[in-house]
Amino acid sequence: MEEAKMVTKSLFMSYSRNAPPALKDVTMDIRANSVTAFIGPSGCGKSTFLRCLNRMNDFVRDARITGRVLLDGMDIYSPEVDVTNLRRRVGMVFQRPNPFPFSIRENVAYGPKLLGARDESVIDEIVENSLRSAGLWEEARDRLNDMATSLSGGQQQRLCIARAIAVEPEVLLMDEPTSALDPIATARVEELVRELKRDYTVAIVTHNMQQAARVSDTTAFFLMGELVEYGPTDVIFTTPTDQRTEDYITGRFG
Amino acid sequence: MERAGEIVITTGGPRGARRGARKWGEIVPKGVVTSVALSGIWLMAFIIFFLIKEGAPILKETSLTEIALGQLWYPVSNPPSYGMLPLIAGSAAVTLLSSIMAIPFGVVLALFISDVCPERAREFCKVSLEILGFLPSVVLGFIGMAVIAPHMQMKLELLSGLNMLNASFLLGILILPTIATLSEDSLYAVPQAMRDASYALGGTRCETMFKVVLKCASRGIAQAAILGVMRSVGETMVVLMAAGGAAIIPLAMSDPVRPLTSTIAAEMGETPVGSPHYHALFFMGCLLLFITIALNILVLRIESGGGEK
Repeated sequence: MEEAKMVTKSLFMSYSRNAPPALKDVTMDIRANSVTAFIGPSGCGKSTFLRCLNRMNDFVRDARITGRVLLDGMDIYSPEVDVTNLRRRVGMVFQRPNPFPFSIRENVAYGPKLLGARDESVIDEIVENSLRSAGLWEEARDRLNDMATSLSGGQQQRLCIARAIAVEPEVLLMDEPTSALDPIATARVEELVRELKRDYTVAIVTHNMQQAARVSDTTAFFLMGELVEYGPTDVIFTTPTDQRTEDYITGRFG
Repeated sequence: MERAGEIVITTGGPRGARRGARKWGEIVPKGVVTSVALSGIWLMAFIIFFLIKEGAPILKETSLTEIALGQLWYPVSNPPSYGMLPLIAGSAAVTLLSSIMAIPFGVVLALFISDVCPERAREFCKVSLEILGFLPSVVLGFIGMAVIAPHMQMKLELLSGLNMLNASFLLGILILPTIATLSEDSLYAVPQAMRDASYALGGTRCETMFKVVLKCASRGIAQAAILGVMRSVGETMVVLMAAGGAAIIPLAMSDPVRPLTSTIAAEMGETPVGSPHYHALFFMGCLLLFITIALNILVLRIESGGGEK
């Protein structure tokens, strides 16, 4: 078994002072070069948890976070951490495809350019490699200068994945990446997720339990902000120890 | 109501009194609405026709090249000279200078309001900008004459404080609210998802604002800028009061200028109806109208995606 890439230790998070905590005492490991799926009903805190891992919750005013989140042993909430560098190391793909209204090439090149890439041939190479990794190269190679918005929804989401991996992150967070896609596009993205774990550590939030079963190695089940159960995916889906997990995966609620 | 009428027509009953009444009940309101709606277009057509009809006769007095390239505007001398180049140059100069001052400032201001200042301050900023937009131009012109001009004259040791710089500065203030509020609308409308995408790639706030948000809103900002320019071209009172009014081609920012608008405003009252001078002023009106129509078409083209490669 690979070692833990990211670790959270008794993580509490609430969106404002008086609001009930959105996350309660979450302690878990996310292992390197594997896919970790977060499942649970709406509002259970799985997306909130994901956004704690690259500090996207920083933009929520009044949000309160206690506990620790470690990336390779480094506390990402400690004051000396450079948030932009952290987000480069921990990339993110969102629920709805959100390509910039630029060309396909410019979308992928955005991150590398922020990092200082200037040489056009270097950028071309990054664009090609990223699009290849995201399985979009064959479809996009002849239209790199077309607007990204001219792509279909599934292609846009793969473009967003290409854009995220263009900065060579170590961890890729995916927040319900297929919820806005049709079944065929979903299948392609799932296939991609399985391939991506060779090079990256992937954490994926999903509403769809079959998806979690198909793509993940480890599954974490959240309920009302608590991490109820966490373990190898086949164990969680066949012999869960907690009654609530069993109720959820057998479709008794949620 | 329309649906009821359709049913009558499709079922096709005999031409009875009832049907006739319904028909009138439909035709009259429809006619009224149509004629009201068309009245705007009619008025516009009439204005254009009238302007051209009154402006064209100047071409009998002098040639188009003389008007466009002549450097002497002496409409009441003997023999008169109708060179409009200094006036056109004056209009172009104040418009350009005011745009250079107001567009970057307005866009940065809009970016500040939409992406930097907190939500509560945003409302306050927008309202203050709108109040600045309500400022009557004559008040602004008065400030230019009474406050700015004497200071400029003393501090910069100029012959007169009423000049191109003064007028452009005032025009810039005048068009700033237009540019800033319209730009802010399109910046604020950029989805949060675009900002999130940039942050998630390790973009700083500044990089996100200038490389993503500004680019996403570029069309709206271009429209805002053109609408600002349009206002600057057509504005009369400020330039009449503060531009100095000399019909010369400006070579420095301290030169007084006489834009087309202020020329019309200043001279129309003193010219005999039907005289060549009168027709020349109408010709300027045509010019201004065509410039604003052209800018309007540009805005529409940007809207329909004409600017996209």
